[in-house]
Amino acid sequence: MTSLVREFTKGLWDEIPLFRIVLGLCPALAVTTTMENGLGMGLAATFVMVCSNGLISALRKIIPDEVRVACYIVVIAAFVVCVEMITKAYFFALSESLGLFIPLIVVNCIILGRAEAFARKNGVLASLADGLGMGLGFTLALTVVGAVREFFGAGTLGLVFGEQVFLERPFGFLQSAPGAFLTLGLLLGLMNLFGKLGRKRKA
Amino acid sequence: MKDSIQMVVVLSLISLLSGLALGGLHAATHERAENNILKYKKIPAVADIYEVLAGELPPAQREALEEGLLAEKRYVELPDFEEPLLFFVVRKDGQPFAVALEDFGQGFGGDLGVMTGFEIESGNLVAIGITTMAETPGVGTKVREEPFLAQFHGMSPDTVFAVEKEGGDIDAVTGATVSSQAVAVAIGAAAKLYADNRDAILAAIDQVPGGEQ
Repeated sequence: MTSLVREFTKGLWDEIPLFRIVLGLCPALAVTTTMENGLGMGLAATFVMVCSNGLISALRKIIPDEVRVACYIVVIAAFVVCVEMITKAYFFALSESLGLFIPLIVVNCIILGRAEAFARKNGVLASLADGLGMGLGFTLALTVVGAVREFFGAGTLGLVFGEQVFLERPFGFLQSAPGAFLTLGLLLGLMNLFGKLGRKRKA
Repeated sequence: MKDSIQMVVVLSLISLLSGLALGGLHAATHERAENNILKYKKIPAVADIYEVLAGELPPAQREALEEGLLAEKRYVELPDFEEPLLFFVVRKDGQPFAVALEDFGQGFGGDLGVMTGFEIESGNLVAIGITTMAETPGVGTKVREEPFLAQFHGMSPDTVFAVEKEGGDIDAVTGATVSSQAVAVAIGAAAKLYADNRDAILAAIDQVPGGEQ
């Protein structure tokens, strides 16, 4: 039981995707123009990661090593298309704002990375916990990056405060790709700073 | 030998099952997805054109208008197209006054869809409404705002539908030339579509409302 909790929580801080394992940057930088998009993208990726991790782990004994990556891609792609169809039918606004980046979850390296690094060597429950933890960590990271870029770049925080405008003259460049790198770098720096302080206190 | 057979079998089976599952899900969600596009993209754009004619409506009336527009959708078979063309009848005082049809231009973030209304009598543009776009928020999305949209009211279909930088007659939004050009291209395409098929489109206005394709 403790190991399950451990597999789940490692994705939330110690190995949080995006900040610690710096994977999945392409969609992360592209969609995080608003907090809402970051959250939506994160949840979509989480769904795919949990499902694909579970299924790949369940099939790990019958998938031959030589074709494993092909099998993983088929499984992942199938779940991604599921997400795409479901968002188009039931979460239309989200599918509109994420657009092409939902289908692109297929090539998000975190998902294939978890399949390869974790699900193929571990049991179904552990893999589900790993997928959920990593997914939620990814979601958390995207939401924070999105919130920072939206607040300082567009002056709003639509998901929490609706139409309210906080900054009359926002730093518009944060909405573009270089702004995404800058935000990511600063947040990564902050995380390392806090991590260092935390360790010092313990010592 | 046994290994390679297993490889083929496992990969084929996984692909087959995925395909079947997705086919089923597509059949289950397809109609809803199409309806969403109609309801949240196309009809609001037609309603925008209505509001240019009738003045801005309070939210409740606007909702009723969008509801009623479902009955104004028509399909017409055109010789050069595989799928029937969807268009909407725009009424003034209860009489057909204009038709609205959608076409696309290439924007900064993919296809940008524009619903263009053409007056039946004169062929002039009534107004336009943006249907789908994925332009940069705060920059390209400004093509959705009034100062830019207003220039199309009553515009002649013989206008050169390109921004000034590309040698046309359309005033671009500052800093959003690509998006403005996409809108212009979409209108130009709709104008050509309308001009080429005017008779077929007008003949379909009196079709039974709600006639499915």
